[in-house]
Amino acid sequence: MNNDDLYARIKSILVDQFEVEESAVSLDANLYEELEIDSIDAVDLLVQLKELTGKKIAPEIFKDVRTIRDVLHALNAL
Amino acid sequence: MAFLDHLNRLYRFFGQSVFWVLFGLIGVVVGFLILPIVNLFIRDRKTREVTARNVISVCFRLFVQVACWMRLISCQVTGMEHYDRSGNQLILANHPTLIDVVILISLFPQVDCVIKEAVTRNPAMRMLVGSANYISNREAADLLESCTSRLRSGAALLLFPEGTRTVPGRPLQFKPGAAEVALQARAKILPVVVDCRPQFLAKHEPWYYIPPRAPHFDIRVLAPVDPVDMIPVCAGKRNARRALNAALQELFLAELA
Repeated sequence: MNNDDLYARIKSILVDQFEVEESAVSLDANLYEELEIDSIDAVDLLVQLKELTGKKIAPEIFKDVRTIRDVLHALNAL
Repeated sequence: MAFLDHLNRLYRFFGQSVFWVLFGLIGVVVGFLILPIVNLFIRDRKTREVTARNVISVCFRLFVQVACWMRLISCQVTGMEHYDRSGNQLILANHPTLIDVVILISLFPQVDCVIKEAVTRNPAMRMLVGSANYISNREAADLLESCTSRLRSGAALLLFPEGTRTVPGRPLQFKPGAAEVALQARAKILPVVVDCRPQFLAKHEPWYYIPPRAPHFDIRVLAPVDPVDMIPVCAGKRNARRALNAALQELFLAELA
């Protein structure tokens, strides 16, 4: 799965499950401040990303993740 | 008067040092000697758990009594009639000091609680925590799951919604985890307000800092609340969590004002 596909999937998770406004989602939108993802959502998101890619981002690394771009970077680094 | 205050502070410094040594020693004796011996005679896991928790609670009650008796702290507890001994309650408390958990476990002997993973690596603590079957917070996803499943199976669970000790000088801030657990497990919440004045063994404060007066703990067990009554009807999962978290935080802030 390339970055564009991944971005589209993450976007659809955010919109469908986390009730985020589609127009608010962009590569550089801050997950916590702009998209109002809280720590419970973040755990949920991690689980779903693992199901999606088969890769597991360590929670220590996810702590430094702020934007969707960071999420893609973290996934690519694995 | 100033001279007597100094003297009292000096006394509390030495008293507290003796107290910590005692705390550590008893921890080692219970962890390495008493519990292993007790466990020799008990095979059943559940009975071990109950016994270990009783032993820990009795020790903690003793610590609190000795600390009060030595006038290192004073402590007043109200509202214990709200505690349901049959379990099935999510006990939520604020966490202003390092030792509030000692007081809380002395009050609620069979309560389940979450222990920092780093603490469970300490050999004496490993024995204690292992026998008592407390929850270790290894991973966030597992943690939510273990908390809700224990509550569902009828345990009483103690959580500090702040996730860590209160940062002095800042109003307390609840993380959404505790609210999520309450909603998922459909558990009644027992709010326990820990009001400690003056500030004592707070976050970023060294253990040897002695407050000007002996700290007074006012522990108020409030009437249980049903999470459903604190959130708007028909709220989605996320909004319900947010609303409950905000309402709980408001409740504690009002109590501590």
